[in-house]
Amino acid sequence: MKKILPLLLIITFMAIVAMIVVSMAKESQPITIVKGNMAMKPIDIKLNATNDTHCKMIIKSIDNSAEVVSPDGRTWFFDDVGCMVLWLEGKKFKDDAKLWVHTIDSKKWIDAKKAYYGVTDHTAMHYGFGAREKESNRTIGLDEMRLRMLRGENLTNPKIRKKLLGE
Amino acid sequence: MGEVLLSKDVLVYLFSESLLFILLFIAFLVSVKVYLKWDFNSFTPNQFKLEQESYLVTTIAFFIFIMKFFLILYFAFTVDNLSTLVAGAMCGAGVIQSNSYGDYLLILKLSILFGLTLWFYLNAYDLESKNYQWFKEKSALFIFLFIFILAELYLDFAYFTNIDTHQPVSCCSALFGQLEGANPLPFGLNTVTLLTLFYLLFILVILTLLLNQTYLYILSNLLFLYIAYYALVYFFGTYIYQLPTHKCPFCMLQKEYYYIGYALWFSLFIGSFIGINGAISSIWLKQETSVDAKKVVVALLGFFLFLCSTYVMIYYFKNGVWL
Repeated sequence: MKKILPLLLIITFMAIVAMIVVSMAKESQPITIVKGNMAMKPIDIKLNATNDTHCKMIIKSIDNSAEVVSPDGRTWFFDDVGCMVLWLEGKKFKDDAKLWVHTIDSKKWIDAKKAYYGVTDHTAMHYGFGAREKESNRTIGLDEMRLRMLRGENLTNPKIRKKLLGE
Repeated sequence: MGEVLLSKDVLVYLFSESLLFILLFIAFLVSVKVYLKWDFNSFTPNQFKLEQESYLVTTIAFFIFIMKFFLILYFAFTVDNLSTLVAGAMCGAGVIQSNSYGDYLLILKLSILFGLTLWFYLNAYDLESKNYQWFKEKSALFIFLFIFILAELYLDFAYFTNIDTHQPVSCCSALFGQLEGANPLPFGLNTVTLLTLFYLLFILVILTLLLNQTYLYILSNLLFLYIAYYALVYFFGTYIYQLPTHKCPFCMLQKEYYYIGYALWFSLFIGSFIGINGAISSIWLKQETSVDAKKVVVALLGFFLFLCSTYVMIYYFKNGVWL
């Protein structure tokens, strides 16, 4: 028994170390930021494996998702354009950043400053601002959308929700 | 602000802590005097008087430290009871998070518990030696612990007087449950590897104990404590609650779960602390750890492991499925 115990100890210890090392090597954390995007182009979002930088939720749908690319090539991802607006406030590179949104009408990435936003759409965080490439009489521009977000005038506000949807 | 001070549990707790602190403060003053003037080579009446005073300090400290163990349990009970008063809280998890002092207080209490078990070892060695061989080391640790307990008393009052019962807090499901796909387990472990590691580490603790591998014993004990925390919250806890989505270290302290959390957390922390401090004190004082202390470690950690495993087995035999 005395001869077996040291051997057993070594085997157990080695097994524990191996398990920890293998688990750490296989670990896959959600993507939160991508660096080196110097071209400031939109990057494909890996759905269910990317975190919204503002609300921390996993991005599950490409529709209305958004990206912010800073001049140094860092790229952040958002599941809702409302999250992007809230997160961007106060950032030093706010005016120089490139903003991308994925539209629900043309299904592609376009410049968020050139996009139009519905106010009663179904979005991940229920703010209601769905991005579109084409303007209509029921859409607003980025500046107005930003103001509405900062004032809390979106579908998460019961008064606004009642006014817009009658619920 | 301060509404929770109307709770009788909080009042009893703070009063008890304050009372013990006054006693401890007296012991501290005497202890500092004895520590500074202590000289074993001296055979003067003054040294004899110091030895008598040191026995008094040890007796007071022993009593207070025993009471501190019970007070930590009572603290958990009090915090859990406050969940009925704090908006949004369903158990102690939300109440602890209700202000910025809670987490620090909890960590400090566990650190003090760790220090107290080390002091008990030093005290036992010191009393065994008959000539107060380890009195200086014991007193130094006592003075060190006093500073921690002073900080604890401040945090106790700061924490309980700053709980806002009108400010909604997150419940345990928000704190521990919904992680949106992110893995809460350390080292990138999954449930299977977590459990394998949990049982393997227990075996390693026993083997290192049998083979007197002191440094490896400390390491395996620390790692077991760390992994056991995650195993209990993220796996065994779901069998205690009989709900796969309920992951919380505090709810198991409640009546609905037969207060089983007290037995589980007590056996895990005290078992690990006794084990680690037994090894530390044997290295520090170059003494052999007593067989009884080793038996206590195996009994407590074995009890913890048995209790956790039993919940899973009973659930499986009753329902025929795993959660």
